Amino acid sequence: MKSLEFNNFLTGNISVTDEMANALLSQCNKLNVAKGTWLLRQGELSKNAYYVETGLLRQYSTDDKGKEHILQFAPQNWFISNRESEYLNKPSSYYIDAIEDSTVCVIKKDLIDNLSAKITGFADFNLQLLHKHIASLQKRITQLQSYPAHQRYLDFIQTYPDVLLRVPQTMVASYLGITPESLSRIRKELANSHRTS
Amino acid sequence: MKTRSVEMVATPKAPHFVGDGFRVHNFIPSYPMLDMQRMDPFIMLDYNSKYNFPPSEIPKGVGVHPHRGFETVTIAYEGSVEHQDSSGGGGVIGRGDVQWMTAASGVLHKEFHETEWSKTGGVFQMVQLWINLPAKDKMSKPGYQSILNSEIPKVTLADDAGLIEVIAGEYNGSKGSATTFSPLHILNAKLNRNGKADFALPEDFNTALLVIEGSIIINDNEKVPTDNFALMANDGSKFTIEATENAVVLIISGKPLNEPIAAHGPFVMNTHAELVQAFNDFNTGKFGYLED
Repeated sequence: MKSLEFNNFLTGNISVTDEMANALLSQCNKLNVAKGTWLLRQGELSKNAYYVETGLLRQYSTDDKGKEHILQFAPQNWFISNRESEYLNKPSSYYIDAIEDSTVCVIKKDLIDNLSAKITGFADFNLQLLHKHIASLQKRITQLQSYPAHQRYLDFIQTYPDVLLRVPQTMVASYLGITPESLSRIRKELANSHRTS
Repeated sequence: MKTRSVEMVATPKAPHFVGDGFRVHNFIPSYPMLDMQRMDPFIMLDYNSKYNFPPSEIPKGVGVHPHRGFETVTIAYEGSVEHQDSSGGGGVIGRGDVQWMTAASGVLHKEFHETEWSKTGGVFQMVQLWINLPAKDKMSKPGYQSILNSEIPKVTLADDAGLIEVIAGEYNGSKGSATTFSPLHILNAKLNRNGKADFALPEDFNTALLVIEGSIIINDNEKVPTDNFALMANDGSKFTIEATENAVVLIISGKPLNEPIAAHGPFVMNTHAELVQAFNDFNTGKFGYLED
């Protein structure tokens, strides 16, 4: 299933002119990625960031027992990258793979540098993306430290309105840091709250 | 009364699996000229042509998923399916039976091969049809009609031609079993070799035929073999089908709703805002709860 256009990440969530978005997306290479294909594996050096045109990607790590921990989903109009590897030249701690057949724009680091040099305002645009990314990561850390699971679930469905329908419950549970059984219980309680209200 | 001609005969596309229990050819809406607007009020038709499922201790099928804004009609030709939904509907349908689920404001449901049937496996053949609901009924209460074959009115044709099962709508004055929200006819023509059946369906009703078994000739000139789908033009009302061998033909015909369609995955509404609302309501449990 394709993503529903809930809002446009580039023009809806941050202040940016179409010129910036077009400059970036018109000059990157498109890549069709089959479901299950890795764009980055643990231990590899990342050279690219990705913008999802259609489909669904995720970024995750595995622990020493082989269990997957999902850091981020990237549906249509989202960016996904491993900045530590891409900008600090370190082997990636994460995997990025396609959960659905997807089409992505491959954004090379050089392209960001070139556009920043050529287009006034592009560096600010890129900085705003970075600030937004940091803000969302800070929020996620606080949520994992101190929010009850049901509140994290409510935030998840705000952030990713159609992902619950598109991925197995185990992946949503992995993102939330809870067991699939706990996720079932939260969803059941939510449903029951409508029945009694 | 003008004759209704054949607009196009569609051959089945490569099948795909829905869950692990339904191996289907999609005709509506993905086939060229069979989109939701052209086929209004029929918005989806998946056809599981005859397929032999091996025995399985764990029933195959589709797990819990939501629907809003339309009805799902499952017509079983071979095999047996078990259904359960969050509004309390549920049951088993087998050969010749029909399951008519009105998702309307929203249900979660799951569909699997019936447990005992699954253990022996066998030939499985079904149609699933989605019928759009008028805007005023999209948010009405969900409903479920389980229609056993013995309850479906049957009209015997002259000259030992065969019979017509009236699932919904009517044929020659016999009214169908199912309650519908808009005017439509769903019929199974079960014809003996060389048997003929005449139909007179309003010119503006979007109409199509799916040959489930055998082969037919429409209006003495258009051959339609097994598993092919014939789209009828809206240029007349009456047409004739003749079986060139024993045949089973599904006939669908419905008055177009002529309302805007906003469709995404399992939700079919009238506006984009209603689709976003459907996702919100599903995410927050307003469709109820159903165990996997």
